[in-house]
Amino acid sequence: MSEKNTIGIPTVEEIKQAQIDFSPRCTAAGRVNDKETQKMVDYILNFARKHSLFVLAYGTGCGAIEIPATMTSRYDAERFGIRGAATPRQADILMITGYLSTKTLKRVIRVYEQMQDPKYVIAFGSCTINGGMYFDSYNTIKALDRYLPVDVYIAGCMPRPESVIRGFVKLQELIQKGNAGNGECYRENLDWYRENQQKVIKNWDFPENYNW
Amino acid sequence: MSNFKKETKILKSLKDVFEIKGSVKSDKRISIKADKKNVSSILLFLKNQKGFIHLNHISCVDWIEQNEFELVYIVWNPKTRLTVMVHTRIKRDEPVMENIDTIWDQANTYEREFREMFGIEFPGLIGAKEFILEDWDNIPPMRKDFNSQQYAIDTFSTRPGRENAQNVREAIQKRSGEEIPDFAKKYSRD
Repeated sequence: MSEKNTIGIPTVEEIKQAQIDFSPRCTAAGRVNDKETQKMVDYILNFARKHSLFVLAYGTGCGAIEIPATMTSRYDAERFGIRGAATPRQADILMITGYLSTKTLKRVIRVYEQMQDPKYVIAFGSCTINGGMYFDSYNTIKALDRYLPVDVYIAGCMPRPESVIRGFVKLQELIQKGNAGNGECYRENLDWYRENQQKVIKNWDFPENYNW
Repeated sequence: MSNFKKETKILKSLKDVFEIKGSVKSDKRISIKADKKNVSSILLFLKNQKGFIHLNHISCVDWIEQNEFELVYIVWNPKTRLTVMVHTRIKRDEPVMENIDTIWDQANTYEREFREMFGIEFPGLIGAKEFILEDWDNIPPMRKDFNSQQYAIDTFSTRPGRENAQNVREAIQKRSGEEIPDFAKKYSRD
């Protein structure tokens, strides 16, 4: 059983012996010592992840109205493995649907930080890109990626369910390539994100250190 | 159409009791202008004597040229289906208005909103604290002298790409040769 087969797929024993690193900063994939094995593990994990995208049932703006249409029988997002999740701990995707007021931003940051890795952010609608029709509003943020790491932007006001599903398919491609999931990027550049967040949120009462 | 019989009757009964100016706007719509101190008694009179038991809406208008706020109380009678709009003006420098949430409970929500968005104080208001805005430290945002765009540029990080966006009023002027009135030029964003 110890012989490797020609295409480099690890045998069952090798997978059993592979030491997986359970360090708290462990990202998307389980870590394996062997490079070839790691590729295989990544492939399997990413394949599984991209077909089970649980979206947090949390709508921030007017865009949340497109989500029921996307989920129900006509567009049927569940054929891509996209479905709702009740709590941040169970969810993979945080969707920012439409405009985001500063008051909501505080809650959204809290929610994002409570989500488990791997976590993805989809920004939805033109308001999250450059403010959209709320470009001169005193109470909505203009560029979401200054405050949270965004994986996919879906343009439009509103994006129709086809565009929403297109965005999810794009995210699936990114996940398969291993380019999605910015939880680690967020933690590494936390100072930059915090600086931007504190500019907008005046009464800052977040805990200093999270146990990520 | 009727000769506004019902409407004129209500208006006359109001004019008998209070010092007001008023007119019948259209079918089933009566508009009156009253002094600040008379408003609560007019509303009580309408509610208790004339059957206007429903408070439709309270709205606020900022007349910055005249240095005044205008408050409009809209009440409705479900039996005769008449609507009365009670207009009153208060000074912008000392924006204090009588609290009417003892007459209608739902007035409380409107008054809390005016307190936050226009800075109008209502003495005796229940729950007079932070309502919709969070940690706001500028002048109340619905006042006309609050420059929303400048605030947005100063506070939020913006993204380039809006340079070609046109000012609606100026775009219309260029296309049709329409003149911009003087008062509008004063508040032009350019």
